[in-house]
Amino acid sequence: MHSLYEIETTVKRSSKAKGLSWGVSEEVGKAIRELEQSNLAGMESFRRVIDIGLDNLTKLLQIDQKKTNNLCPIHFGLYFLDQSHKKSLLNVFNFENLIEPLISLPFLFKAAKKNLIYFNLKSNDFNFSISPGGFILLDANQLPQSLSEFSLSITNKREGLYSQGTWDNLYKLSLETFVEESEEKKLSGAGAGLTDND
Amino acid sequence: MQIDLRKPEFVMKLDRLGSYHQSKLSFLRSFVREFKDWNFQIKELELDKEGYGHGVYVVQKGEKQYSLVCFSNHLDDSDRSDRVIATQWDASFVLFDGLPTKHDILRLKANVPLQEQGRVTEKELCLSRANKSVRVFQHVVDCLSKGKQPDTKLLYKVGYLYRTTAVYGSGKFGLADRIKIQDRDELKGPFRLEMMLVYLARQFTFDMVNHVAHHRSPSIAVKLDDEIARNLGIGNSTGLGMAPFIVNHPALLNQWIEAKEKALQAIRSLPSILEIDKNNFQSYLTIVQENIRYWKTDSDYQIKKNDQLIKDLLKFQNYFMEIKLEEFFWNKVYEWAEKNTQAECCEFIVSLMMEVYPDIVEPLSYQMSIDEEVYFDFDTSRSIQEIRQLIEKQYKWLLNIDFEQKDNMFNFWYYSKNKQEPRMSDRFSEEGADLELPLAIARDIYYLYQDLKSENSSNDLGNYLIKNQEYRHVLRRIFICEKLPYSEIQDNTISKSLIPVDMLRLKLSFFGATRFDPRSDRWVRITMYQGAPLMREIGHSDDTWSYKKIA
Repeated sequence: MHSLYEIETTVKRSSKAKGLSWGVSEEVGKAIRELEQSNLAGMESFRRVIDIGLDNLTKLLQIDQKKTNNLCPIHFGLYFLDQSHKKSLLNVFNFENLIEPLISLPFLFKAAKKNLIYFNLKSNDFNFSISPGGFILLDANQLPQSLSEFSLSITNKREGLYSQGTWDNLYKLSLETFVEESEEKKLSGAGAGLTDND
Repeated sequence: MQIDLRKPEFVMKLDRLGSYHQSKLSFLRSFVREFKDWNFQIKELELDKEGYGHGVYVVQKGEKQYSLVCFSNHLDDSDRSDRVIATQWDASFVLFDGLPTKHDILRLKANVPLQEQGRVTEKELCLSRANKSVRVFQHVVDCLSKGKQPDTKLLYKVGYLYRTTAVYGSGKFGLADRIKIQDRDELKGPFRLEMMLVYLARQFTFDMVNHVAHHRSPSIAVKLDDEIARNLGIGNSTGLGMAPFIVNHPALLNQWIEAKEKALQAIRSLPSILEIDKNNFQSYLTIVQENIRYWKTDSDYQIKKNDQLIKDLLKFQNYFMEIKLEEFFWNKVYEWAEKNTQAECCEFIVSLMMEVYPDIVEPLSYQMSIDEEVYFDFDTSRSIQEIRQLIEKQYKWLLNIDFEQKDNMFNFWYYSKNKQEPRMSDRFSEEGADLELPLAIARDIYYLYQDLKSENSSNDLGNYLIKNQEYRHVLRRIFICEKLPYSEIQDNTISKSLIPVDMLRLKLSFFGATRFDPRSDRWVRITMYQGAPLMREIGHSDDTWSYKKIA
């Protein structure tokens, strides 16, 4: 099991290695960390986005843009995080399709909280809401007025929801932000000393 | 009289930050204060006659327990390296949350000595390793085994038996994430677990020499004298890996600096003081002037600073003896020091002033942590004009830097594939600048500012970000700095004239390090806990141990 710190750092560096800016990579690292902390499979979702390739996905840059198929979940989330203070966004918008919507959720959560707004995502087979109070509901109308014969499971264990292959793949990608050092640079950029038997 | 906080443009310069000294706010001292009523004991010390094996030290209060598990292994001289890429050490340590079972110890034994190459779990809180100071260790064991105490001249010249080369926490290598422990009352100060690990490791070094000496000559050997042991700390060898921390954690940096500035402001604002306050200050000053003799370094840079400090302290001493108690005494003293001494001495005097007023200073040590996540998101509804104004107000210092000049953009920070640590290099002769870490804050804000000039002032930031995400990381900082004015180092961290050791010194002084011994402009040896109470004495500690005379 990797720590949340390791997950955030690896995703941040992987995002940078795939051409996102450092500032956006920081956002993605935190988003995947939050998903994994919530026992949602953010790492696997992120890996599938990387496998598809960010360049093959559509960035949401304007709310009324014509092309909205294969939307990138990172840029979809960022768009609403950065723009949803605008009153003009308090409306209903239609999109063709969003890849790996799970990754957009932490961004929408923050946007909802920051601007005290509500998001409701609705498709033929899916309907859920995000509120500024931090609740996510798959279908608010489906909550019963009482529960019978139910169990409540409580644990402090976070589940590992990604495969070792996914971790290895992303970790290897994160190393692409590291610099291979020449012999000269090893000395000139060095931190610790050369004589340690004193 | 209204005494203001010192201004960020004065405080946040690296030559001043790199002149900081330990104080009552330092984390190792607040650790001792916080844990003095806890029970410290050795639970296991299973070492062979050469001192190889493991030990377990337990810190307990009620049902709360922390355990340091120490491993000691044979190491050939040829393998002894303080470099972060070393793979073997004389000793390795892990701080365990609770009491480890035998099964835990076996698991840790297979992983902790490997450090970065091993794996630990969320049951573990901090990880570290240390190498012997070979000549001191051998000398101490030789003497003790012959029934004599060691030569204190040699001991105090070095100051420690072992030096750590890294202390890891907060989720690294599988360790527990900070969120697991951040709400525990006893851990409210920064780096408290790391300070606990180092404190217990220091005790282990004393127990080690006593153990080895005893087994060498059971009938003759004596134990290391308590007074001598007390005057030994634990060393630390630190390189550039530590420097980016203070850039990457602006909100936390603000809390550290602000606590110190608030303490100074409160002391300078005292309208009247007692004779005994002045006398207490004088007694600390006298001891410090004595103890500085033990600060040994081969670094020309530090030798000059130390020499200047000694001269300035003498000058200050003459002034201080003459000055009479009067209204706002400490404000006058501070103003004199700021005007007449270099930063190294001025900041030393600030630390000494804080020593006299525990009631003012110690509560501030609880304000030195912060929830950094609160400051991560920023308000994208702000106008371009507002952002420009924030830069002009908070970052005036960088607006006149010419980043077309080679020397002003000489270095780049990168993450070394070989050493797995941040490093710095010359961008004009070395490869890798395309993978530069986001630590060139001055340059990036400068270019952001230039870019914003051509934007419509009334547009909002959200609009700007759609096409300019490359500035997101510094925009975040501008908003942090708006709320937390001591969050930003006001110097160009990629300039050719940068002295990275200043960045290390800033962080290490807040840890409570003493005896700064830079081995180059980018790595430094220091000592921690020199003079601190031994483990069994911690309950009687009165927090004056930092200013005890080294015999």
